[in-house]
Amino acid sequence: MAIKHVAFVVFIQLFALNVVIQTHAFPTPASAEDKTVYNRQLTEEKPLSDQIAEADSVKAAVLSAESKHPAASKDTAQDGDDFSDLKSLAEGQKSKMESKEGQDQTTPKSDQFVPDESDSTKSRRLAEDYDSTKNGMDDSKFQGDVPESFRQVDGTPLTAEDIVQKIANKIYEEDDRGVFDRIVSRLLKLGLITDSEADSLEYQVAEALQELITKNAQRNEVEETEESEDTRGEKEAQDEDANTNSPRRRFNDNDEEEGEEEGEEEGAREEERGAAEDDGDNNAGGDMAGDERWDRDAQNEVSPSDGLQDLQYFPNFYRLLRSLDAERDTQERETLITIMKTLIDFVKMMVKYGTITPEEGVSYLENLDAMIALQTKNKLGKSLGPADFMGKGFDEDDNTKAEAAKMQKEYENLKDSTKEEQPSTETSRPGKSETYLEAIRKNIEWLKKHDKDEGKDDYDLSKLKDFMDQQVDSYIEKGIISKDEGGTIKRIYSSL
Amino acid sequence: MKQSFWVSLLGAVAVVAVARGGGDGEISFEYHRYEEMRKALVSVWLQCPTISRIYTIGESFEGRELLVLEMSDNPGTHEPGEPEFKYIANMHGNEAVGRELLVYLAQYLCNQYQQGNDTIIELIHSTRIHLMPSMNPDGFEKAASQVNPGEMKDWFVGRSNAQGVDLNRNFPDLDRIVYVNEQDGGANNHLLQNMKKAVDENSKLAPETKAVVHWIMDIPFVLSANLHGGDVVANYPYDETRTGSAHEYSASPDDVTFKSLARAYSMFNPVMSDPNRPACRKNDDDSSFKEGITNGGAWYSVPGGMQDFNYLSSNCFEITLELSCDKFPSEDTLKTYWDQNRNSLVNYIEQVHRGVKGFVRDLQGNPVSNATISVEGINHDITTAKDGDYWRLLAPGNYKVAATAPGYLTVIKKVAVPHSPATRVDFELESMIERKEEEREELMDWWKMMSQTLNF
Repeated sequence: MAIKHVAFVVFIQLFALNVVIQTHAFPTPASAEDKTVYNRQLTEEKPLSDQIAEADSVKAAVLSAESKHPAASKDTAQDGDDFSDLKSLAEGQKSKMESKEGQDQTTPKSDQFVPDESDSTKSRRLAEDYDSTKNGMDDSKFQGDVPESFRQVDGTPLTAEDIVQKIANKIYEEDDRGVFDRIVSRLLKLGLITDSEADSLEYQVAEALQELITKNAQRNEVEETEESEDTRGEKEAQDEDANTNSPRRRFNDNDEEEGEEEGEEEGAREEERGAAEDDGDNNAGGDMAGDERWDRDAQNEVSPSDGLQDLQYFPNFYRLLRSLDAERDTQERETLITIMKTLIDFVKMMVKYGTITPEEGVSYLENLDAMIALQTKNKLGKSLGPADFMGKGFDEDDNTKAEAAKMQKEYENLKDSTKEEQPSTETSRPGKSETYLEAIRKNIEWLKKHDKDEGKDDYDLSKLKDFMDQQVDSYIEKGIISKDEGGTIKRIYSSL
Repeated sequence: MKQSFWVSLLGAVAVVAVARGGGDGEISFEYHRYEEMRKALVSVWLQCPTISRIYTIGESFEGRELLVLEMSDNPGTHEPGEPEFKYIANMHGNEAVGRELLVYLAQYLCNQYQQGNDTIIELIHSTRIHLMPSMNPDGFEKAASQVNPGEMKDWFVGRSNAQGVDLNRNFPDLDRIVYVNEQDGGANNHLLQNMKKAVDENSKLAPETKAVVHWIMDIPFVLSANLHGGDVVANYPYDETRTGSAHEYSASPDDVTFKSLARAYSMFNPVMSDPNRPACRKNDDDSSFKEGITNGGAWYSVPGGMQDFNYLSSNCFEITLELSCDKFPSEDTLKTYWDQNRNSLVNYIEQVHRGVKGFVRDLQGNPVSNATISVEGINHDITTAKDGDYWRLLAPGNYKVAATAPGYLTVIKKVAVPHSPATRVDFELESMIERKEEEREELMDWWKMMSQTLNF
């Protein structure tokens, strides 16, 4: 991987040099054309021309953008260093490779998405270096990837959907979850969105990202067959894996990282994310591939052989999914699947990082599936079918994945699905949240039963929620419970 | 809604899969360090928020909250006529069983309430129960932190608070004062004078002690018990001997009542009430133990203890419960201790509903607070609380109960008191001014009549 990376970098640098030479002057249509012609010889450069064209159009958009000072200084730093340009260009190229199809597909929309940090911006950078009017773009590129301009090229305002798409694209292309954070924080700072909007934005972005991954995976598959060079194909597959892997993880981490307050958990999260990035691509790739196919087949009956390598170890969960009506409950299915997968992933990270042993992970997962069967039986009054573990023949990677999924699911379920509140609280003290969740659950059950006996309806639940919120605040004040515990409790109540 | 159902189903599944040893409604019999104890109490509150409340009466020396879990049908308020009850444990940090028993008791009461246990439901509706699992959390941490693979924990480590103060010798010694008053006449109750000087500015008092003193003064507790370890017996006042000797039966005015209360606990504890129980240690002198109970002074003299302080500073009757030969037994014995004490703990709370209780009001129906309720033959008076309500614990028998208040005329009533429940006796007090008015009117009427007859 590293070697390939280096080779790639070198390759890119060579190319970039050409580009630099050619773009030393203000880009003229002729030179642009030349580049285009030149580019076409190498398929990976093809998009570069698009990028440049894009850059020009973006320049127009950016002229109306505000410029940020800190970014400007960064920009100048960038200006001064061609080599770093090349390097970042190379990196951009790499991710460009991965998201090539995505780039093509999203180019029309991302025309106005100024802060695009993939190759489009890198090439733009070269041009911008010599074009002062492009400075505005650069700062957003480095600073906050907020679309400075909220208008399309033709002047029509961007819809919310567009923004979501843009952000998703950007995350995808940049291979960096931090994009979202940066964007959102800037949007918040600018007062363009509220906190709750930020929450729902994340959810939407996640969805868009997922779609993106799916589409790109499809395209990448197609492309693989077109590729003549083996190395390139391999690289693509790997890159695709890594890339498609990361968005999914990013989504997880996105959730996890939202808890800024919990410094310790934050640290833990960071580590795990680091671990995740380093993690073997194969499984992740396999996951993702299976995931995409799963998504595609969402409307059909899914069989384990479809490639859902993780979920096949959860026969009960699987049956549960199947029992959900495909048409009506699509969203629920999606949610459940996402939850399960992220849990698996998470546990994998935990084992990888040594937080738990593989054996613990295995037993956790085995328990989980058994509990799914049991609980489904209890709650739905039907059983999913003979509880059928696939045996203890898990290999370590699968175990860890499953473990991660389980843990993640715990967190997911401890929070409202549309909120990005941190699961980090629960991470470091899973026992406490469980106990609290259990206690609250018992109370709600008792209330429901009690109300039923007395013939009341359960509008009391909202009153109870308010009362509990109030009590929680007063307890936090008195030092009886800690702030994050209070947050957990409130969150559990709000998700009821 | 449906989605959240699925989500919560999965969540519950995941949660339960990871939950430690928890079936539904089951108590987990383990030791709770401070954080775990706090978490356990919060969980009880979360499970039963309509009948429970957590509050803190202050902080220990090292800053841990002195947590209390209150259980009642209206947590946070004193309902007029509803008696207040408390259990305090672990004032000696290394006497750990009581602490755990109170945590289990909290969980038990909550579970039983929700499962429809009528006895518990009735108890919670008619009583305000306060549970303080640990008065000395600092000491407990010290005791619990000892690393003894296979050995018993030390007899003394963690007993005192973080300052090295034995909290059960740290309370203002009111026994001395009452003994003097017995001889020379004087008040027989509410002997804590000058709260500010005696408590707040008293540098000898530990923060835990101060917090509890304030707590006792704030809430009109009626009955209480103080949980210890190191032996197995129910100990009642007085703890301090009159003559200062090491062992001497030191009866309080309510000796009969106290014996009845202490027996009410011991009789449901098979170990405590076992007449053939061997002594905890070979050379122990448990000659004073009878039917699982003992007078404090007869066992050994304890000056400055919390039990006597309750009785002599407030209306609260407190006994001391020693629950285990080992002060800090191993975790796997906790379930046994719970089994031995569960019924006793519940039954003792029910003792608060005994004797005589009621309201003292004036002729207009307004409550008379701080009126004195005295029982003929018992040299210990109690007072009415803010709403004019009082609870006078008495063993079965015939009594004359008097209600007095400054500026009012005393009213005496005869009462036959059964074992339980409490007998309701209300008093309507006539103020002296009203009586004077009546007399004046009578006089005027007489004068009028006289003058008419005699042609004045």
